[in-house]
Amino acid sequence: MVTTIAQAVVNGLLIGGIYALVSIGVTLIFGVVKIVNFAQGEFVMIGMYISFFLATNFGIDPLVSLVISMPVLFLVGVLLQHFLLRRVLSLGDMPQIFLTFALSLLLVNVALLLFTANYRTVQTSYSEMAVHLGPLYVPMAKLIAFVVAMVLSGLLWVFLHSTDLGKAMRAAAQNRDVAMLMGINPDRVFCMAVGVALALAGAAGSLLMPFYPAYPLVGQVFVLMAFVAVVLGTLGNVTGALIASLMMGVAESLGIQFVGADSGLIVVFAMLLLTLAVRPSGLFGGWSR
Amino acid sequence: MWTFMGRIGFSVGMLMVIAIALPLLVTSAFAIDIFIRILLFAFVGVAWNLMGGYAKQLSLGHAAYFGLGAYTSTILLIRYGVSPWIGMLAGGVVAMLASLPIGALCFRLRGPYFAIATIATAQVLMLLFLKFRDFAWGAEGTTMPNLGNAPLMMQFDAKASYYYIVLALLAIGLAITYKIERSWMGYYLVAVGEDEDAAEAIGVDTLRIKRNIYLISAFLTALAGTFYVQYIYFIDPNTAFSFNVSVEAALVSIVGGIGTLWGPLVGTVLLEATSALLQSWLGGGHGGVQLTVYSLILIAVILYRPSGLVGILTDAYDRFVHAGSTKEALLDG
Repeated sequence: MVTTIAQAVVNGLLIGGIYALVSIGVTLIFGVVKIVNFAQGEFVMIGMYISFFLATNFGIDPLVSLVISMPVLFLVGVLLQHFLLRRVLSLGDMPQIFLTFALSLLLVNVALLLFTANYRTVQTSYSEMAVHLGPLYVPMAKLIAFVVAMVLSGLLWVFLHSTDLGKAMRAAAQNRDVAMLMGINPDRVFCMAVGVALALAGAAGSLLMPFYPAYPLVGQVFVLMAFVAVVLGTLGNVTGALIASLMMGVAESLGIQFVGADSGLIVVFAMLLLTLAVRPSGLFGGWSR
Repeated sequence: MWTFMGRIGFSVGMLMVIAIALPLLVTSAFAIDIFIRILLFAFVGVAWNLMGGYAKQLSLGHAAYFGLGAYTSTILLIRYGVSPWIGMLAGGVVAMLASLPIGALCFRLRGPYFAIATIATAQVLMLLFLKFRDFAWGAEGTTMPNLGNAPLMMQFDAKASYYYIVLALLAIGLAITYKIERSWMGYYLVAVGEDEDAAEAIGVDTLRIKRNIYLISAFLTALAGTFYVQYIYFIDPNTAFSFNVSVEAALVSIVGGIGTLWGPLVGTVLLEATSALLQSWLGGGHGGVQLTVYSLILIAVILYRPSGLVGILTDAYDRFVHAGSTKEALLDG
């Protein structure tokens, strides 16, 4: 029994690391640009397809293709902010919500047209490997993904706290107008925030590829998790999103283990609705403390 | 010389005559099927628009009520032999009851938080109905018992009969919208939509007004759900609680003109006509084309004309009238 619980917790934490990369991206964009990016999951999907095609056409390991998918998606993020999001910043909720929502629909369906609905997988040398910690079974690919995800989250934290640009992003998140009065160029900061967020989504995609199939709708799994984690961890709070994502991973995994294979999501949504009912501002108030 | 209202009344009358005569003029089953889809989604859009358009409560979870309506009438029909006509109203009542706790939870939230919470409620309901295997047939779903031509059980041989039912639903939805638009409630809704805090400050009970419009919106959406499963003779959680229903309800309203009487209908006609054209042009088997085009249209509307197509039409009308009046003014001068 204890082993079963421990194993479920380990499984949950490992996938929670991926959820964290996605939800940190969502919360970063919301914190700085004040837009909820409904298309964040689709950028995970794009990251997966990039890694898939690099692996099948050039034999590049998905973990190596991280160094390609991240910069590519960073660039996509800068362009997204510059050409699309910037135009709705001063408009109301409707354009802000439905622009990224439409983008999500567009990307899913273009992927469906280009790549069909087939599941694509990549076999790597470590896809079948596992580490045994006493009675616990830890698949190698998931362990690597988790470790890299945590390293990237740590790097982001360092970036936000010790570089000028990172501090400017946090300042813009706290109060956009005052930040602008202090001489911070909002366009540059916004482009940077969206770029970094999309790069994280791309990283999540590449890290998933060795153990998760790519298909056009794959992003929806992760974006739903990310939304819950982001609300749970207080919108705009990077550390909150990280902790909440790990919690969600564990909750989902325990739900699958003890309620039924199809019940992981019910547990997750129940957590969301409960949080909204009891503490709508999330578990962690404020910005990345 | 007609008054302005007279002219509008005349246009609406003409529209109704055309709508009623349509199945007599066009007998192709394929075409009637498209008309039914247009009217059905226009109706769901009208229901969404009451809340999402006028009060700007941007729900992405109206599939919850569509599904509850569908399941209520189906369970009553198959388990207890109750006519779907009664089941339809029962479904509406169930949806209204469900909207109370869902609203109590979600209305504490604004903007994107509200949208996310409504997605979650619809998903939870879908997942629950996937689990109710004994009670609601689980993931396999069920087909409707075929009772032949049984108007009292909402089953017909002629497709045109379905057309008239959904036409009547849409007319009811539009009439309700028209009434609300011109009532105190309509002004309250717009006030909530424009600025909730300001509305609250001048004494609008915003929570109550949101709850009331949610009740109406949920009721109407549930009627559409019952109609839909009766029309396609099949129900399963993925059809009844389909995320696409939530999306389409919002999409047609936004493209047509959010918070306007005719917006949802105009939007549905444009989107469904585009989709039908694409289908006949490309043939089947191109999964994704339809939604690709929908999303491009949506992006274009948001970036270039957030007031929707109705906005373009009224602008053109204003310009036309205005051009006339400046000419007169010049002549007078």
